[in-house]
Amino acid sequence: MKTIWKRAGALLLTLALTLGLACCAGEGTQNEESAGGNLSYGLSNPWDSLMPYYSLSGSNYSRIIYDKIYDRLAYIQADGTCLPRAAKSWESSDDGKAIVFALDEKAAFHDGTPVTAQHWVETIQLMTDPASGVLGQGSFACLTGTDEQGAQVAGETLGVEALEDHSLKLSFKTAVVPEEFLVEYNRDLYVLPTHLLQDIPIGELVKDDFWLKPVGSGPCKFVSEVAGSSLVLEANKDYQLGAPGFDTLTITVMDKANLLTALISGDLDYYAFGANVSEENRPTAEEAGFTVVEDSVPSTFYELMLNNSSLGTPELRRAINMALDKELLCQQSTGSLGTATNSSILPGTPYSPQPFGSYDPAGAEELVKESSYSGKQLTLACTSARASIAALIQQDLEAVGLNVEIQTVDSSTLFAGMSDGLYDMAIASHTPNALPLWFTGSRFHVDNNIFHVQDLSRYTQLVSAIQAETQDSQRLALVAELERYLGEEMPFVPLWFSNSLRIHSKTVEGIDYPASASCNENVWEWTMTGQN
Amino acid sequence: MKQFAKRCLSAVPVFFGITLLVFFMMNMAPATIADAAGEGEASSAARAALEAELGFDQPIPLRYLHWLGDLLQGDLGTSYRTGQSVGRMIGQRMGPSLLLTGTGILWAVLLGVPLGVLAAWKPHSGWSRLAGGLTLFSFSAPGFFLSLLGICLFSVKLGWLPAAGMYSSGTGGSLPDLLRHLLLPGAVVCLGSMGNLIRQTQSAVGEVLGEDYIRTARAKGLGEGAVVWKHAFRNALIPVLTTVLNHIPHFIGGSMVVERVFGWPGMGSLLFTSVNSRDYTVIMGVTVVVALSVLGMSLLMDVVYRLVDPGVDWGGEGP
Repeated sequence: MKTIWKRAGALLLTLALTLGLACCAGEGTQNEESAGGNLSYGLSNPWDSLMPYYSLSGSNYSRIIYDKIYDRLAYIQADGTCLPRAAKSWESSDDGKAIVFALDEKAAFHDGTPVTAQHWVETIQLMTDPASGVLGQGSFACLTGTDEQGAQVAGETLGVEALEDHSLKLSFKTAVVPEEFLVEYNRDLYVLPTHLLQDIPIGELVKDDFWLKPVGSGPCKFVSEVAGSSLVLEANKDYQLGAPGFDTLTITVMDKANLLTALISGDLDYYAFGANVSEENRPTAEEAGFTVVEDSVPSTFYELMLNNSSLGTPELRRAINMALDKELLCQQSTGSLGTATNSSILPGTPYSPQPFGSYDPAGAEELVKESSYSGKQLTLACTSARASIAALIQQDLEAVGLNVEIQTVDSSTLFAGMSDGLYDMAIASHTPNALPLWFTGSRFHVDNNIFHVQDLSRYTQLVSAIQAETQDSQRLALVAELERYLGEEMPFVPLWFSNSLRIHSKTVEGIDYPASASCNENVWEWTMTGQN
Repeated sequence: MKQFAKRCLSAVPVFFGITLLVFFMMNMAPATIADAAGEGEASSAARAALEAELGFDQPIPLRYLHWLGDLLQGDLGTSYRTGQSVGRMIGQRMGPSLLLTGTGILWAVLLGVPLGVLAAWKPHSGWSRLAGGLTLFSFSAPGFFLSLLGICLFSVKLGWLPAAGMYSSGTGGSLPDLLRHLLLPGAVVCLGSMGNLIRQTQSAVGEVLGEDYIRTARAKGLGEGAVVWKHAFRNALIPVLTTVLNHIPHFIGGSMVVERVFGWPGMGSLLFTSVNSRDYTVIMGVTVVVALSVLGMSLLMDVVYRLVDPGVDWGGEGP
């Protein structure tokens, strides 16, 4: 009996000692690593394939990874300002129907090969090849020689040309403003090391083993990956804009709920996107000694998607807009960080419409009576995170006589349901940019008629006119016309814009926090302070 | 041996039944990975093209047969999302899952079984109350709550343990660093499994302690320790072993919630991500591995039962 107790005691003691020693040893290791320049970076969702033109989700979580390994033409700031990156400068030519980019001569791939305009040309040729099987070809649909899906049209000249070794010309179907082109498409344009892809058959390009250990020309080099879980990159000390101030960047996927705690405990130095935190958690971060700063530019736009087929009359859709107390909804959702809106256009831009003001439950009730609403139950889809907002919307709509049922689903089901016409309404959010058509430009098209609008002709006419117009005053008038038409037809209900609160890292300096909303991060300017 | 072969053969249709059921249920879910493309905002033409490329335009039974054909050739397919081989992805995640759940369950066995025996042996003692309290806590506290509680207490407030990951970034994977990262998630897995183990052990040992042969052993003057550990515990081993072996498939499947919260790169977090993104090939790959491990464990249980108690027949029924 005594022997058994002795054995059990010894076993437990050994276990406790081993683990205790592990704790002590681990603490020492961590202190050493702070000075070593390893930057620990958190991400709440995984990326897709490391082939930047084969992102199935097309999500920002993938783009923020590609941003590190591959180079883009420009760096976009939160207010839409474009700064040089792979391109040192750019200018409009051919009456606005082309842009000439002066590429940085110092740019080189991670294998040492200099990046030339020919690499950009070959990349775009490969990616617009109908046999390539890439995703997101739509980004090239604005170039001449491509069809509406962005695939190269046989017999036509593709709108990309290497004028000199470091001079790249892109030609467009209609006139474009260079900065607007970059704000819209820069995040999806990467240069690939085409000299290393020559032997890969075009049909196998996107799934080739090359992408298991990719080579790019971005500020970080690939080291290792556990797909969807962790990614280790090292600083590209030869990056043309400067060497990142860390040795390695370890990106770890973890639950969103744990990002803040991991930052506080020192396991993370920073997390994407821009280390944002809710107003509710702001005191926790501040108590832990972090500085929390509010963005000056909104980073999220919320809308109530409407099914224009089942909510068949403009009166009914306008009634929904007027019935919603957007100020209250915004307050509930964002605290003091939001601004209610009647438009998808970012506040503070020249295109911003008239000041907000539409809450009118009595008027909404009248409109419901005038409309053809039969009293049928309307379905409102939302994700679980927005169930409380959905409940408030339901309450507002029921107050004006609309019968609403809430369905809580996941994000994929929500969009698929709206696309299939299964739901009448859904709450969705998006990352806006400074362009007037960032939201409306792609949603009123026969191939992407997610609001099930019966007659798209006026929308497509106005959108095309705005896209083709380069004169500011004419453009402002056309945008105002589109906004007026949207107000009449109300194909969707704009709800509010929200700003983000950013936790400033204690261990990394130089981070341009708000710019992460444009899916780019200035890692070449980041430096480790060594303080934890 | 013949009986064992029979059991092995009977596992074959069960395995294919599981894969068939999971494949059909998954494909009846409202959205496909093509619907999630472009964060749900891809054009209908792009979605249709993607569906055709991934084979979603074919009937579900045909897709199942295609998948099964590849499986029989040892090919688990390619992940829609990452473009990588599913076998490779599972291979990368298997080790961390085995380590996390294996450690957690080992700790649960080391702590839970002796505590269960002590609680049965001394029913009104402090041991019994401790066992009751721990069992109640284990059953009632969900994994995510325990995980976040552990992180708040040991990582944020006390700063003793890391809150996430398997290694600190840049350490190159040292053993002390790994153990330090393992402590908190391992403890959560241990607490989650311990309640069942304590209860099963306590109940089995308690039942055996009331048997006539235990009374006889005591009457013969055998020491109390020998009575409990040599006679009672050994005869109560079958239900305890069942509970322990039933936990083993978790070694393979991982603990989804714990892995997700702690950013542990195991099978559970892989499954979580794959379900969210409708990456069916990966879901099916994980299903195959977990189904095989559950069926394998079931066969192993039969073998172990016979070793512990030769009176047990291959049908798994007691004498």
